[in-house]
Amino acid sequence: MRRLYDRVVHFKEYLLLALFLALCFILLAQKDTSQIRAIRVLTIGSLASMQDALGFIPNIFDLKRENKILREVNLTLADEVSRLREARLENIRLRQLLGLREREQFDYVAARVVGKNMQPLRNTITIDAGENDGLRVNMPIVTDAGLVGKVVATSGAYAVGQLLLNKDFRVSGRVQRGRVDGIVAWQGGDFLILKNVAKTLDIQVGDVVMTSEFSSIFPSGIKIGVVHTTTQARGALFQTVEISPSVDFVRLEEVFVVRYTPDSDRIALEQRIAR
Amino acid sequence: MQRTVFYSLLSLLFLVLDTVLTKFLVIEEILPDIILLWIVYLAIREGQIAATTAGFCLGLVMDLLSGQDGMLGVVALAKTIAGFVAGYFYNENKTQQTLGGYEFLIAVGVASFVHNVIYFLIFLQGTDIGVWGAVFRYGVPTTLYTTALGLIPMFAFARKYSS
Repeated sequence: MRRLYDRVVHFKEYLLLALFLALCFILLAQKDTSQIRAIRVLTIGSLASMQDALGFIPNIFDLKRENKILREVNLTLADEVSRLREARLENIRLRQLLGLREREQFDYVAARVVGKNMQPLRNTITIDAGENDGLRVNMPIVTDAGLVGKVVATSGAYAVGQLLLNKDFRVSGRVQRGRVDGIVAWQGGDFLILKNVAKTLDIQVGDVVMTSEFSSIFPSGIKIGVVHTTTQARGALFQTVEISPSVDFVRLEEVFVVRYTPDSDRIALEQRIAR
Repeated sequence: MQRTVFYSLLSLLFLVLDTVLTKFLVIEEILPDIILLWIVYLAIREGQIAATTAGFCLGLVMDLLSGQDGMLGVVALAKTIAGFVAGYFYNENKTQQTLGGYEFLIAVGVASFVHNVIYFLIFLQGTDIGVWGAVFRYGVPTTLYTTALGLIPMFAFARKYSS
């Protein structure tokens, strides 16, 4: 017995490592159970409140630069608003003529980014709005510039958002000019990729890419980015379309969560057909 | 016991600072791993057991914070092994020399590289993204950046212990 004890003491570092590795592999094999969700909610809630308390640090340094940018954006937007007002009136008139349904109006919840978890290929943010504000998992996160990501976990007062720059993120995208559809994903680097676009389809550098109606999570018409390059490899069926995201993820400070719940009738019907 | 509580509180502070200071430290999507620097410090100061335990606990919290289904444990695994590897640089009689010398940087570099290779090997399973491509695109720059940031505590310790 004594010898066994001595051996355990002698190899304690290795035994501890083995124990932790076993725990890690067990956790990796787990699905998102209710117990894990509860621990996650507790961790997010407690750490996010501390991040929130330290949130003043970035603001002090960035205020001047942000003011300058906001003034410039304000000027551009004021001009755009007057043009869009005209276009909206025309749009209403034409929709009435054709009998088309009016697009949904969305309810937005403003939130401050209190923490960023920028592990390579796994970028997430923590925001100071949660279930108490009506946020639920899968709700889209946007800024004035475009799509940021979606909510993946919530606690009472906080939520974690998965960014577009995350290897697990997918969204149905549409090129605004050519009405070409594809799946937008990120595989590392500065650009997003528009997948499954046939070589014959017309896409040009500078084309705007928006969310499309095919998504069951995101409402259509949210800007994702602008086409940066298109490459047509020999022998391939699809072209490679790189998109420059419209949101500056490094300087993300305030976001809006769209309180959007997909049409359950549509999802139920699609699932019934798929079975 | 008192020391454990003190280290736990400091770990918590580093976790919060890591997420709050992100925007100041990011260069071309590359961020230094402040948590790993802290784990290496613990390894040199307290030894392999402390660093391995800290690596597991801090990695697990980071996994929980990322809110991603199906990948709980990947950062914990990488940081546990990194802490264990950094523990080989522990020398009870030379703690101050190690912290204030180039050995600290070597420990940071080795632990960071091991961490990144393990992280990408597991995290990128089942994706189109190449593991080694990701290691060279993110892992190597992160290792270099973390090691470079390690110069700050190294000089601070060198100054502290020489006086």
